[in-house]
Amino acid sequence: MGYTNDNDFQIGIDPGSMQPKNLKQHQYTISLINEALRTGLLSVQEIINIQNNVMLVLQNLIWRYTQGESSSVTSETAESILTSIIYAVDVYFKGLESPEAALEYLKKSNIHHAHDEGVRMISTLLEESKQLYKVIRTNKLDISVDAYNTTIDEALPIFMKKYEIIFDAPNTMASIDYPLAIDDMKLQGILYIHQYLQRLQLETEFCKLFNIDDLRELLVNYGQVCRFNYQIELFNIYELVLNNAVFAIVSEGSLGQILLSSHQSRYLESKFATMTSDQISHTIHTAIVQLQNGLGIQNAQTKEYMAQSAEVLIKRIIHTVPLHHFHALIITCQEKVTKPISFSLNSDSRMSDLELRKWLAEIAELESKEKKAEFIQTRFFSLVDYLDLFRAGILYDDEYDAIFAFFSDMELAVWARVVFHEASRTDRFDIYSIVQDYKNNEGEEWKVHYIQFMKRLDHERLQSIEQMLQKIDYEEFTYYG
Amino acid sequence: MFLSQIYNTLNHSMQELAISQILEWNEKSMEHGLALSFEEAKQMLLARYQILEHYSRVELSLEVTRELIEVFSESSFINQEIYAQTLNEMHEIFYYLKNETEDRISDVQVVEVMKNFFEEECEGSLELLRSKAEEYAEDFRRDIQIKEAMTSEDDV
Repeated sequence: MGYTNDNDFQIGIDPGSMQPKNLKQHQYTISLINEALRTGLLSVQEIINIQNNVMLVLQNLIWRYTQGESSSVTSETAESILTSIIYAVDVYFKGLESPEAALEYLKKSNIHHAHDEGVRMISTLLEESKQLYKVIRTNKLDISVDAYNTTIDEALPIFMKKYEIIFDAPNTMASIDYPLAIDDMKLQGILYIHQYLQRLQLETEFCKLFNIDDLRELLVNYGQVCRFNYQIELFNIYELVLNNAVFAIVSEGSLGQILLSSHQSRYLESKFATMTSDQISHTIHTAIVQLQNGLGIQNAQTKEYMAQSAEVLIKRIIHTVPLHHFHALIITCQEKVTKPISFSLNSDSRMSDLELRKWLAEIAELESKEKKAEFIQTRFFSLVDYLDLFRAGILYDDEYDAIFAFFSDMELAVWARVVFHEASRTDRFDIYSIVQDYKNNEGEEWKVHYIQFMKRLDHERLQSIEQMLQKIDYEEFTYYG
Repeated sequence: MFLSQIYNTLNHSMQELAISQILEWNEKSMEHGLALSFEEAKQMLLARYQILEHYSRVELSLEVTRELIEVFSESSFINQEIYAQTLNEMHEIFYYLKNETEDRISDVQVVEVMKNFFEEECEGSLELLRSKAEEYAEDFRRDIQIKEAMTSEDDV
């Protein structure tokens, strides 16, 4: 805005016909004014009138913002309030039947009314979002993906609580980490959150149609394929599930199957390699329809979302198959591999006392042994920290088992080195005999639980642990008891 | 800042209206023998615009100008000769204090603080008033820091 001269806008005038392509969804009112000026539907004088009316709304809101105590504000505050006014007007104008109807409002300089209506619509969207959030919270997937959980448990409630409808409406003011499969990041404020919640609900409902244990295993497989800790990575769960469900159908697997074998992966790769782009597209779309029918998906929005997701998948297949990279698109079941050691043996790597106390307090609050074990596994990375944890007196009975169950053979060997300190240093160390013959149920509680856990392992696993014991790098081992 | 220029320029473009409004307030200040000419009112608006620019503030009404005229035209330290210049200086000090007190005190309170200093401790000296305003802002900010530190200690 800020037009002062008719001559500035003479170039390219096309009287009377606004081009829809020139109207931007994300700056609707401003682009509408520009387009109306370009086509001669608004005069410079009318633009000045619109500006003056916007300024009157701003003046009024500055008084409200300062609660009548100040007639001036900093430029940053004024800019924020003005942006909020335009945002509300955008919301209202986009809801009208046509750009021409919005233009009529502008011609009549009825910005004040458009703003009031926009604010009312924003308020309605916020209420709808709160209801959507409740549904999502209730149906939340029980999985250990931090971004998914913190977005639902922490970020979204903060938004609902802090969102400022009148003075700062375009501000999304929440750290939404969990990525959707299809997202419009150009949206702001409540328009973004409303859309995010709608899509998150669709995605969550879709994922709930599959077996939760299969879904958890798929996530583990995904982590192994990508060689990262899936619990702390940013990725979309729905996309993994949809892709594998579609691949299952195309590879003649069963409906609802999401755990795929490497055989199915090879079959799919060779099948797609012989197809044209159109054939691949047709195959995927057919599988999507089969999936929708088979799973009883009736919701038109879900179907449309799946169709859009299918387009993304089709492009990826067409792109990866000729490069022989199809395996990167499909998550297959991974063989149980020997997990490497995931915590440091060096006491220098320990966390601070403050951090340790914080985690211990949070662990004590967790309800189930599984949640405790998962929480610990993703936050404790030093042998010394584990010892502090074990000696803190916050774990009970089978909670120790849940933690030991996460450890690889190498890690259990490290613990054997700590528990059977002297015996483990001899060449004739027979871990099977030592564990089985161990009668002493006294001493530190965690050691007793460790030995009981080890007793329940089969002979073969214990032999593997014993072999690992020989491979421990004692140069790294700075714990001395 | 670019946006503040837009707002204040827009007000500037409506200056004819603003000038006539300021001249209307002459009626009341004339009770104390003070009045602004058309040219002085125009210059005051220009000065006010530059001050708002300088302090990166936006004001879409003339409320502060009205308040300053109303309060300071009563002062026995101001005569017609220095009236216009004094009002310009008062605008400068007012917006300085608004910024330096982080918008935590109302327009009325700021004008009241200025008036008290001007009439009593400064005895009509603008130079002293500027110095007092700086001291006041410094004390105000220190008090805020102390209060915030105490609040954060309470939180811990």
